Amino acid sequence: MPILPIEAYTSQEWLDREKRIIFGNSWQFAGFMEDLSDPGDYLTVQCGFQNILLVKGRDQRIRAFHNLCRHRGTQLLRAVGKKQKALTCPYHDWTYDLSGQLISVPEKEKEFPDLEIDKICLHKASVDIWRGMIWVHPKADAPSIIHYFDGIAEHLGPHDPMRLIEYPDTKIEKLIKANWKIVVENYIDVYHLAHLHSNTLQMYDHAKAEFGFVNDHYMFWEPLVKKYKDNLDQLIPYKRIAEMTDEYIGAYVPWLFPSLGLSETESSWSTFHVIPLAPDLTKVVLRSKLEPMTDWEYMRLGMKSGEAWKKIMGVDTKYKSEDPNDPMASGDFMEEDIFACEQQQKSLTNPLFSIAASAKQGESPIRNFQQIIAGWMKTEQN
Amino acid sequence: MSEQFHKLTVSKLEKPIKDAVRISFTLPKHLIKEFSYHPGQHLLIEFEIEGESYRRTYSLNSCPFLEEDLQISIKRVKAGKVSNFANDQLKEGDTLKVMKPKGRFFAQITAEAYKSYYLFAAGSGITPIFSILKSILVASPYSQVYLFYGNKNQDSILFNEELKSLQAEYKQRLEIVHILSNPGLWSSWESWKGKKGRINSREIEDFINHHPPIAQQTEYFICGPSSMNLDVRKSLMELGIPADLIHIEHFSANQDEGIRKIDSVDHANIELSYQKNSFHFEMKKGQTILQGLKENGIEVPYSCESGVCGSCVAKLREGSAEMKTCMALDDKDIEEGYILNCQALATSERLKIEIP
Repeated sequence: MPILPIEAYTSQEWLDREKRIIFGNSWQFAGFMEDLSDPGDYLTVQCGFQNILLVKGRDQRIRAFHNLCRHRGTQLLRAVGKKQKALTCPYHDWTYDLSGQLISVPEKEKEFPDLEIDKICLHKASVDIWRGMIWVHPKADAPSIIHYFDGIAEHLGPHDPMRLIEYPDTKIEKLIKANWKIVVENYIDVYHLAHLHSNTLQMYDHAKAEFGFVNDHYMFWEPLVKKYKDNLDQLIPYKRIAEMTDEYIGAYVPWLFPSLGLSETESSWSTFHVIPLAPDLTKVVLRSKLEPMTDWEYMRLGMKSGEAWKKIMGVDTKYKSEDPNDPMASGDFMEEDIFACEQQQKSLTNPLFSIAASAKQGESPIRNFQQIIAGWMKTEQN
Repeated sequence: MSEQFHKLTVSKLEKPIKDAVRISFTLPKHLIKEFSYHPGQHLLIEFEIEGESYRRTYSLNSCPFLEEDLQISIKRVKAGKVSNFANDQLKEGDTLKVMKPKGRFFAQITAEAYKSYYLFAAGSGITPIFSILKSILVASPYSQVYLFYGNKNQDSILFNEELKSLQAEYKQRLEIVHILSNPGLWSSWESWKGKKGRINSREIEDFINHHPPIAQQTEYFICGPSSMNLDVRKSLMELGIPADLIHIEHFSANQDEGIRKIDSVDHANIELSYQKNSFHFEMKKGQTILQGLKENGIEVPYSCESGVCGSCVAKLREGSAEMKTCMALDDKDIEEGYILNCQALATSERLKIEIP
């Protein structure tokens, strides 16, 4: 018995409601702390239907405003930028200071003689930093981020993301032709790990995975397989994360509701941000942080690990193919996942589509996730 | 309305640095509730020294979230009657007259808060700041503390040892930057490698840039000599920090000194109206209005006698007066004619005063 109807994955109307009810009412990932390092740095982030503007002040605090001019609603800024001391609307040059206060209106005396400038302020949103990540909530009176993530810290990796460094070539953006929830469900599906990724995630012991939900957030941990663990020094692709002592080692792969996956491993710490674009189109942005190392160390470790993998673990793909673009012969687990998600989305409109059965253990996170979505959608009234 | 003094016994005296004494009081059970306090608040104490009584306020440096005795620290002030008495003559077991903790300068600390606190202290201004700092660490487990602490030299840093051990205990949540105006070259067998100078706007911006807040809800507490307090507030506001997040305690390092020399009028005539009564009296040169009132047996509200608490506020209806120091009133109050009786000297022949 499917928990969500098919149109939850195919209809624009459903997606619009999700954008309003879920994405308009929860904390969303907006980037890393260092994305806004200097006063004047800004970025924008989409929370459902609302575009939020984040700007760093000279006091090093981040301000969050809804990115719409109070005059006629024009978006004030786009994308990421540097060194803004005032926020100006491009349309009629209304100007706001970094506290969101309107400070000037061109031709005020003539055109707006009665306008009380000091009573007009940009709409405020909430922003906070948690685990080195910037989070934003469209409501000005959002519940504390600590409350939002209450109880999950003990299930996360020991990593200190603020200490780790993002390498420029580790950021990946992909467009997936599937509903955003198909992408999430794939991320939290334990059952597929040993099958779809039999040759790409074989360094982890999926049979020993421990997983479950804390409130709306999914927690997952699995240990390394013995062969990988015993030869970790040779096989590890980057420097081992300092906090990843033997006591903690393993892969921590939680899903933070609604749209951020983390992948916290022995040698990297990554975010997997899901952004719905259309009912059947989703953007994902992957960013990874590593232990600080020189370019030379980075290269040397990569080569050493590559060689060792061939010798110790064996490098193979699930299928052989003549086609160099065949995702199932890529040896890249992400390509495998994207392929699986897109193939699933294609079948949703097939009149014969149904789910014959759902795995008792390995697919229980999917059922839980759908239940959580269904629960949020019931709050339609607001 | 007269406030009640309670007799408290000095349970312990310590010397954290050469020219300061730390005084602990153990509270009798029946006073525990009345003496509960927020970190940052102060005690008003009346000292009897050579037959004269002196009232002073001292910020508590103890932490209300721990089961510890009430504690204050008194740094010696040159020629200061009370500070020298406390440093040289006070003994364990002595009793002092103490009023329950008061003050609007305090941090409202909650366990679930996720906040970044920026604390600025100079000299003995650290006492309330230390209480706030320790309370945040102990009772607000998600919050972060950044302390910028100015002193003259290595030997004048109150709470140096305590801060070091808190820093070791709360590595992830506490950052301390010291700045010394006149560091000794070889104090403690080690040359000073930290910041030199005073807490000024450039240093404040530098401090905040090097310690950007993690939790984005911030609050700022400042305690030091009033000139520093005003500078820090001005600098913070220039950085775009809203005034309602900035809290200031005017810590008067010169409580005992009297800052301004005022050339007051001899035999000034004072007419006072208070609670529908009116009083007439004459003052001597150099007397404060409060001293004149006391000498004439007129009972009016007062408390700290150092221009800090504001209990003795009055409105000047006619004539002129000047205050030696004034921490309890802002510029607007003064413009409107408010004065502090404990600090005001008559500078005209006739004064008409009203106590609201």
